[in-house]
Amino acid sequence: MKKKIGLLLTCAFAAAAVTGCSGSAASSNSQTAAGDNSSDGAVKMTMSWWGNQVRNERTQQALELYGEQNPGVTIEGQFSEWSNYWDKLATSAAGQAIPDLVQMDYMYLDQYVKNGMLLDLTPYIEDGTLNVSDISENTMASGSVDGGIYAICAGINSPSLLYNKNLLDENSIEIKDNMTIDEFYAVCLEVFEKTGVKTNIAYGIPETYNNYFVRSFDTPQFVDGKMGGSAETYVPYFEQYTKGLEEGWLIDPGVFSELALGSGEQDPLIYGTTPQTQSWCAFYNSNQLAAMQSAAPAGTEIGITTWPAFDPVKSGFLKSSQFFSVGAHTKNPEEAVKVLNFLTNSLEANDVLLGERGVPASSVVADAIAPKMSESDQKVVTFINEVVTPNCSPIDPPQPEGASEVYNLLIQMVEKVCYGEMDAQTAAEQFFAGAVKIMDGKQ
Amino acid sequence: MDRKKSMSFRQSINKESTAGVVFSLPFIIGFLAFMIVPMGISLYYSFCDYNILSPAVFSGLKNYIKMFTDDEVFYKTIRVTFYFALVSVPLRLVFALIVAMILQKTTRATGFYRAAYYLPSIIGGSVAVAILWRRMFATDGVVNRLLAVIGINTSYAWLGNTSTAIWVLIILAIWQFGSSMLIFLSSLKQIPVTLYEAARVDGANKISQFFKITLPLLTPTIFFNLVMQMINGFLAFTQCLIITEGRPMNSTLFYTVYMYQQSFKFSNTGYGAALAWVMLLIIGVITAVLFATKRFWVYTEGV
Repeated sequence: MKKKIGLLLTCAFAAAAVTGCSGSAASSNSQTAAGDNSSDGAVKMTMSWWGNQVRNERTQQALELYGEQNPGVTIEGQFSEWSNYWDKLATSAAGQAIPDLVQMDYMYLDQYVKNGMLLDLTPYIEDGTLNVSDISENTMASGSVDGGIYAICAGINSPSLLYNKNLLDENSIEIKDNMTIDEFYAVCLEVFEKTGVKTNIAYGIPETYNNYFVRSFDTPQFVDGKMGGSAETYVPYFEQYTKGLEEGWLIDPGVFSELALGSGEQDPLIYGTTPQTQSWCAFYNSNQLAAMQSAAPAGTEIGITTWPAFDPVKSGFLKSSQFFSVGAHTKNPEEAVKVLNFLTNSLEANDVLLGERGVPASSVVADAIAPKMSESDQKVVTFINEVVTPNCSPIDPPQPEGASEVYNLLIQMVEKVCYGEMDAQTAAEQFFAGAVKIMDGKQ
Repeated sequence: MDRKKSMSFRQSINKESTAGVVFSLPFIIGFLAFMIVPMGISLYYSFCDYNILSPAVFSGLKNYIKMFTDDEVFYKTIRVTFYFALVSVPLRLVFALIVAMILQKTTRATGFYRAAYYLPSIIGGSVAVAILWRRMFATDGVVNRLLAVIGINTSYAWLGNTSTAIWVLIILAIWQFGSSMLIFLSSLKQIPVTLYEAARVDGANKISQFFKITLPLLTPTIFFNLVMQMINGFLAFTQCLIITEGRPMNSTLFYTVYMYQQSFKFSNTGYGAALAWVMLLIIGVITAVLFATKRFWVYTEGV
C-alpha cells in the first residue's frame, strides 16, 4: 500500500519535472532573447545585423574588442541576409525579445518607432553616455522620428552603380558619372553587342531604385502614408525593362530563380558563368563596393558610378546606409548605449570596421581612418565626396508602413514585364492601382 | 441512516484512473499549452487586424471576406498547392510500392538498399538538401551537365520556367518516398504466403497475383499512407521557401509560404491566421472525403 503511493507520487514529480523542461510539439524560440544579468555581474547582450561576409567578420571583431576592454560583457552577434532579416526581427519583436542592439534601416525605422520597439536615445545623449558631437545635424536628423532620436547613423552612403570595369575598358566602352537614362541605354546596348553580357536592372531589389527613379519627376513616392503621383509616373520605370527585352540586353529573369536576391556574393555581376547569366552592372549602394570587390573573381575590377536617372541631380541623394538602434526590451540600456557609443566614436573599433557600412558618421572618425581604408573604400569616399555630394538633393522622409508590401507588388509586376506578359503601360496602371489599395488599407 | 459514501484522499489516489491521469499529465499539459491555447489565440487573431508589433484590433470577418473576394494570389496558391499535392502524393506512393515489391526478397544487398532509399526521406526535408536541389537544377547545375554527357546539350533553366519549376519541387517530394516504402514493406510481409501458393496452384501468373491478392490486401496501408502524405503535401513549406519562394511568377507559391509572407513579410498577421484556418478546413474536408470513400475500396475484413 505505502509502496504504491510512494511510487505513484515519485512518478508524478518526475512527470512534472519533465513537463517543465520540454514542450510536446513546440520548439523553443530563445534564440533571439534579450540579454540578461546573471548573478555574478556578467552582462550578456545580443546584437543583430544583416550583411555580407566582410561585414560579419569585422563587426564580430569589433564586438570582441569591446569585450576585451570591458571584461564581463559579452556580445553575441546574430547576422542574416537582408532578405530574411526583417522577418526574424519582427518575430523577435513579437516575442518581446528584440535584440539589445539592432541594425536598423530607413525603410523600417518609422514602423518600429511607432510601435515602441526602439529605445529613445535622447536622455543618453544629454547625459553624455552617447557622444554625437562629431555627427552633422542632417545625419542626426535622419535618425529621429517625432522629436526623439532612435537611431544613430552607422555609415553614410549613396546609391551607386557597381560595374565591371575590366569588361568596359577592354571593349573601349565609355561610361560617365551622373548619366541620364538614354546614355545608360546606349551603354547597355553597346556592352551586349560587343560582348554578349546582359544587364540587370535591380531585379528583385527595386525598393531604392524605384524611389530614386521617380524623384526625377518631382513627385514624392509616399505622401502622408499614401501613394504620391499617378500611374503615369511609373510608366518610364517599366519601359526600361520592355526596352531591354526589345533590344535584347535585358538579363533573363529565369536566372534569378536560382539565386538569393540582394545577396552581393550571388549577383550576376560576379556570379554568372556565361555571358547570358552575367550582368555588366549592379544597382547597389556605395558601401557595398568593398564586399563586391572581394567577392569578384580575381582580376576583375569593380568600378563605381551613379545610377542612371532622367534627372540625376534631382534623383541623387545621400543617406545613412543603416543605423544602429537599441531595442526597447533591453535589460541593460546603459551598457547597450555604451556599446553604441563605442561603435560610433571609438577609433579602435573603427580601425576594425573601416567604413564597411559607409563613410563613418563622425567626422573625427572618418578623418582618422581615411588613410587606413582599403583601396576600394577610399574609392567610395572619393565617390561620395566628389561625385555625389555636389549633385544631389535631400532624401525623402522614411517610408511609411505598407511600403514593403508595395515593393513586393512592384517586384511581381517587374517579373511579369520581364517575362513578356505585360507591357509597360498596363504594368504601371496595375501596379499603381494595387499600391493605392495597399496604402489605403493601412490608414 | 444514510452514510454518504465519499472516498478518502488515500483511496482516490489508489484508483487506477488517477494513475492514468497523472501519467498522461505531461502530454496533456504540453498539448494544451503548445497546441490548444495557441490555436485559440490564432483563431482570435484571424478576426483581427494584427501586425505583430502592436496589439490586435478586432475587425470581424474582414480578413475572410478579403481572402475570398479580393485576393487573386490566394486562388493561385490554392491551385498550385492542390496540383503539387495531387501529383506528388500518388506518384510517391506508386514508387514506394514498386520499390517495396522489389525489395521484398531478402538478398545480401537488400538491407543496404532499404537504408539507401529511406535516407532521402529523413534528410530530404532539410534546408541543406533544398539548397543543394536548387543548385542541381540551375542552368549550369548537375542535371544539365549530366544531360550533356548523354548528348543533350542544354542550359535550360528548370527553375526559371513556369512550366517546369513546380516539377522540380514535385521531384524533390517524390524522391522522399522512403518512409512510405518501409510501411509498405512491413504490410507486404503480413500477407500470408498461403494465398500466393493457392493462387499459383490455380494457375495465376505474377501479374494476376499482384492485382488480385497483393493490392486488395494492401489497401488499408495505401489508405493510411494516402491520408498522411496528402496532409503533409498540403503543408509543404521548407522546400518551396528555400528553392523558389514562389518564383517564377507565383507558379510555385505554396499556400503555407504565402501565409508566411503575409504574416511576417507584410505584417498582415491577422490575415495570415485567417489563411491558416482556411487551410485547416480544406485539409479537414479532404480527409473527411477520403474517409467517406473508404468503404468503396479499402478491404478491412482481415484475412
